[in-house]
Amino acid sequence: MTQRFSRRHFLGACSAVVVGLAIPAGRLSASARRARRAGPHPTPRPGITGEKVLSKEQLKSKPKLIPLFDSVREIPEVVDGIYCNCGCTSPPEFYSLLSCYEGKGMARDCGICQGQGRLAVRLHKEGKTLEEIRAAIDAKFG
Amino acid sequence: MTARTYAVGSLVLLALAVAAPARAQIRASEIGTMSQVIDGTKLTMEYSRPRSRGRDTLFGTPAVRWGEVWTPGANNATTFGVNKDVKLNGHAVPKGTYSVWFVVQRDGDWTMVLDPKVKRYHMDPPDSSGAQIRFPITPHPAPFTELLTFSVSAIRANGGTLLFEWERVRIPIEVEVQPSLVMTMSAADAAPYVGRYAYVDSSAKPIRTSVFTVTHENGTLKGEQTPADPYFRKFALIRIAPDWFAPGVYDRSGQIYEVYRPEITYEFTRKNGKAISLLLRDDTDEVSATATRMP
Repeated sequence: MTQRFSRRHFLGACSAVVVGLAIPAGRLSASARRARRAGPHPTPRPGITGEKVLSKEQLKSKPKLIPLFDSVREIPEVVDGIYCNCGCTSPPEFYSLLSCYEGKGMARDCGICQGQGRLAVRLHKEGKTLEEIRAAIDAKFG
Repeated sequence: MTARTYAVGSLVLLALAVAAPARAQIRASEIGTMSQVIDGTKLTMEYSRPRSRGRDTLFGTPAVRWGEVWTPGANNATTFGVNKDVKLNGHAVPKGTYSVWFVVQRDGDWTMVLDPKVKRYHMDPPDSSGAQIRFPITPHPAPFTELLTFSVSAIRANGGTLLFEWERVRIPIEVEVQPSLVMTMSAADAAPYVGRYAYVDSSAKPIRTSVFTVTHENGTLKGEQTPADPYFRKFALIRIAPDWFAPGVYDRSGQIYEVYRPEITYEFTRKNGKAISLLLRDDTDEVSATATRMP
């Protein structure tokens, strides 16, 4: 029994009891095992906007991710203050987690980028500050 | 042979000479590097690796004399680098890079010396100084090893074993790293979470045949799935944030060998200080399952 199978099997067993919440096969991708390096978190750039975040048209092949990208686009001042722990990015091309949702759109394929973005959006909706969101990102992904 | 042939030949030789790597050289003791990451702490050994070259005995001979302060390698002194503070055989070693020396003894333990001066030639061993880190190491008899070798022969959640081998000597050096997570939890901290939680379906109705049980045993918060999962079995719930936990899976000797962060997160919700429900989230922060405390 391989670890990946076992991990998937375990989560699948948990989620199988919840209709509609089952994890698709392959969700537990290798991205979660990439080398991680904690922060430091970047300072949000003054006047940053979400205009470069990939649009619905640019996400035709990944329609399930459109709501996530839309949510990230609405809070660039938050997402631009978060370091991405996926291990695939480096300055200056990638300034922050926001960069992963722009340009080549690494967040289209990277579970860590998606997870960090989704967590940031969720906690922002719960009223958490940027510092609190960073702490949560570090706890889970750092 | 014509002048033209000479000219062409010379050009070919010149081109070959230019194309050859400038520093390529066959060495008796080729340079090697060993590195290992353990829970975010990276250990690196850089050393020239002598071979026995038909010599049956090396220690206690002119190659390595008894009582000598010897770098376990050749040419420039072997170096040991670490990016975070560690303990070697229980002795604190601050992060940094050191030259490595063994005080080689015929009988009993040897002494490992970590000297802050990194660049030293093997013929220039350091004098004893207060800036050094010195501690005993124990040589063990072993099958013959031709090539001087450092390796990491064992890895645990909180450290590993750095192993030196050459000739008929092997020396294990226990490495202890700073844990990135605290595995234990007091009974008082654990109490709000302990209990049984029933997974619920999409209409929030409990499915009582699928239960998550949280216990506190031997100073650790633990979780167990029912029906039992053959791989995770009973696992540690390791706190990564207030009310957030990552599962740590035990091996058959009872040691944690892998922590699933960020792949799996248990997020508890409290009411009046007591956990009343939990969400199981994956690495993309999506909810995989929901459970509520059973009466």
